[in-house]
Amino acid sequence: MTEPIEPGATPPRASGAPVVSLRGVSKHFGGVRALVDVDVDIHEHEVLAVVGDNGAGKSTLAGVLAGAHRPDAGQVLVDGSPVVLDSPAAARALGIATVFQELALVDDLDVVENLFLGHEVGSGVFLDEVEMERRTWQVLDQLAASVPSVREPVRALSGGQRQVIAVARALLGSPRVVVLDEPTASLGVRQTAEVLNLITRLRGRGHAVVLVSHQAGDLQAVADRILVLRLGRVHGTYTGETSYEDLLAAMTGAVLPGSGGR
Amino acid sequence: MTPGSQTSLREANRARIVSAVQQRGSLTQIELAGVTGLSPATISNIVKELSAAGVLATSQSVRNGRRALQVTLARNLGLVAGVRFGVRSLSVALADASMRVLAEQRMPLAADHRADVGMRRTALLVTEMIESVGASPDELLAVSVGVPVPVDPASGEVVTLGMMRGWDGVDVAALFQAELGVPVTVDNDATLAAIAEYRYGAAQGFDSLAYIRVSHGVGAGLVIGGHAVRGRAGVAGEIGHVSVDENGPVCRCGNRGCLEMLVGATSLLGMLPAGAGHLTLADLVTRATGGDPGCRRVVYDAGRHLGVALANLCNIVDPAIVVVGGQLVEVGDLLLEPLRTTLGQRVVATSRGPVDVVRSELGGSAGVRGALAVALDSARSAGVLGVVGS
Repeated sequence: MTEPIEPGATPPRASGAPVVSLRGVSKHFGGVRALVDVDVDIHEHEVLAVVGDNGAGKSTLAGVLAGAHRPDAGQVLVDGSPVVLDSPAAARALGIATVFQELALVDDLDVVENLFLGHEVGSGVFLDEVEMERRTWQVLDQLAASVPSVREPVRALSGGQRQVIAVARALLGSPRVVVLDEPTASLGVRQTAEVLNLITRLRGRGHAVVLVSHQAGDLQAVADRILVLRLGRVHGTYTGETSYEDLLAAMTGAVLPGSGGR
Repeated sequence: MTPGSQTSLREANRARIVSAVQQRGSLTQIELAGVTGLSPATISNIVKELSAAGVLATSQSVRNGRRALQVTLARNLGLVAGVRFGVRSLSVALADASMRVLAEQRMPLAADHRADVGMRRTALLVTEMIESVGASPDELLAVSVGVPVPVDPASGEVVTLGMMRGWDGVDVAALFQAELGVPVTVDNDATLAAIAEYRYGAAQGFDSLAYIRVSHGVGAGLVIGGHAVRGRAGVAGEIGHVSVDENGPVCRCGNRGCLEMLVGATSLLGMLPAGAGHLTLADLVTRATGGDPGCRRVVYDAGRHLGVALANLCNIVDPAIVVVGGQLVEVGDLLLEPLRTTLGQRVVATSRGPVDVVRSELGGSAGVRGALAVALDSARSAGVLGVVGS
């Protein structure tokens, strides 16, 4: 197994044992090799940013963690033990929650209904609306989110607020790892600011955050470590303080794999 | 207008009143008389006249058990925006002419954020925030920007070399002016924070103060006799680059052993043992407060280094109060106690005892509040508040 970091170079520090590790993970879509022999460690209380050009394999990596794609080769370890993530439900049960780019919110339902869709609280045919609303406010408060009303259909909310609702829904099962796929794409500056603050708060609460994005400036603002993917392979792991030029060089392949990582 | 004439005197008195109200945000007619030295009858007349003209607004309140007329600037005069670029964060706030903050937004920035992208996005953010409070862009009167490097107060240009990558020689004022189309002033962020603490925070009622910000970078701002001290090229108060160890490591400013190399976030985090993971300044604060011995030691030593540097500053300027701000001061007395002790040992002993060292009251908002204040100052002197500037 090839380590992406050159021997002799000190890898970026990471705390304790990883929560989730990928070892030698590969994934093909027909003739396209989306991921090739990928090793990643994900730690609690850390933001791991995954960056790369279009087609670098970022979203496939998120899909593998979410249980949406089953790897063709390699292992996924949770707390050091091999697991099979064959469905989003299996990933959730193991503490990995994913928020996809398209958010999968139902526009006509309100915030509470969206949060509890498919796992409503209640007994028999009766729903416990009060309990669901209480828990909704609880999780929104934890995120310090400013949402005008939880009984408003989500179509009335801004892009940043919708992102917050999607994250809140992911947090309901108390996951240890939160995977965010392109959370700031198509958002205005103000909403981007809200999402970046949200990521900082998730990290502060001890979650492991995997942030997939191609907006290097945004990830550098919040990342502890940056994993650069190129053509499906790990091109290097960099610290959050790495300069924009070094990151760009790695993304575009202007430097050899591992040569710039500290 | 002939100088000395009745009309010019009245005009000057009006400007004095508007200036006093603008700088303090809100005060009663009696207090106005005290501050401006004008007679209560004159104050009452001018306030009435300016209220009718829509410049001032009055409301009934109670002071010392007696009814008093509270005077503020009229809210609908327009909006001002304050911007603060930090080393790792950006804050933007929007306020009306009565200094009521209407919207405030913060966001983390990359370690190596660039001037062009940063300013373009900030201008967009200001526009989005104006929309979010239901105002229109032409209500914006002025903008003030704080940056964490020395900047020429006259031209608004970053004057240092290599202190912030990609910001050397950038004309911050001109770039923002081009984006937003209103007058823009630029200052060092610590100077703005000092102005805010002087007017609205921990140094209210003191006639001079030294403000020091200890965060990712280290900087100081000075207000003496009610005026912010900026110096020839905006370098006044660069305490982070005072030499503490002349054989120390080379700093981003090009000198050796600067204070910032001892107490800046990068240095503090670098002293912690490896294996604790990638830590941020916020983590250091949380751990030190939670009792982690290594983190407490790092904070304690930082307090002592700051005490030494501040003692030198106090011996030269002798401020009435020292205000400590920035993210590191969130640990409270863990930092301030060693700082006070070291400062006390090293300042010239006087019968008045050492100067008071207090924690910032405005916290992380100090810089941006100062920017709002300076923006409103510049709007007033540009004459857009309905009176001729003074």
